[in-house]
Amino acid sequence: MAVQIVMDRTGDTRHEFDATDAKAVALAEKRFRELTGRGFRAVALGEGGNPGKVLGRFDPTVERTLFIPQLQGG
Amino acid sequence: MERVREILRALFRRVLSDHGREPPTLTDVFVEGGTRWLGPQIGVVFSNGYRAWAPLQRSDEWRSSEELAAWELPSRRRAVCREAHLIYAEVLAAHRLELRQQRRSRIAQQIERLAQSFRPRRESALFFTVGRRLFDDEGSSEAQERGMRLLKENLSPLQREQYEKHRYFEVIGGRTGRRYRIRHGRMMNIDQLDAKGRQVCGWCFFPEGHLVAGDVMLAQKLALELFEAEALEVANRF
Repeated sequence: MAVQIVMDRTGDTRHEFDATDAKAVALAEKRFRELTGRGFRAVALGEGGNPGKVLGRFDPTVERTLFIPQLQGG
Repeated sequence: MERVREILRALFRRVLSDHGREPPTLTDVFVEGGTRWLGPQIGVVFSNGYRAWAPLQRSDEWRSSEELAAWELPSRRRAVCREAHLIYAEVLAAHRLELRQQRRSRIAQQIERLAQSFRPRRESALFFTVGRRLFDDEGSSEAQERGMRLLKENLSPLQREQYEKHRYFEVIGGRTGRRYRIRHGRMMNIDQLDAKGRQVCGWCFFPEGHLVAGDVMLAQKLALELFEAEALEVANRF
């Protein structure tokens, strides 16, 4: 099962989907587009604390995608 | 007479240095003609009972009498008294100005110290009294726990060990190779370090949306590792 983790006020919200289920993948892709369209940055999390990589487009093979809200200076 | 004025100024400065915070009122000035053994002297008396005097030379006495056109002791005393009040007012005004400047300088130093201590360093008392609520965490305890779990899942073993021990962890900038320390917190919690681990400057950026500390620190770590330039572009340096 792949998971999309969205950072929010509750800590995070997780959306799991089966990468072999076309309908679930389409839904995950839609979520990806919506979030990145709102300024979230999608990151494929690496294993063991490794940085991973920034995702420019939806990749159903990525196991854990983290969505980080837009950054702002303080 | 100028020498007499100088003597009076010196006497007034002495009383103000002893009682400067609450300057007493000048109540009397005495000029004593002197005796065969003791020379003439001039003295001042204040409302708080303070007295001070200084010797006069016979020539000073003569010159002041001539300048004031007061040859008799009582008339000379009245004339010197008038002059003394003017001089005291002058010295007092200068003294008050100096006190005001000292106070302003102290206030400026206090503001500077306050500004320094307001930087949210964990060791500063102000952080604990004021800054902690502002900088430390947000959301319910469940949200905070979830955020911390997500952070720890995505720290390297070394970063996790650092964080458990010191409540900070270090990150290497993905683009520049610079070393950063992310302290526990939500804002103003990133230090850029030099090769010896000394702080070069601080950076402040965080994700929008009032996120919990764990999420914020993870976002900061990933931003510095994966898109350092963009993160520093929005960040404020301090």
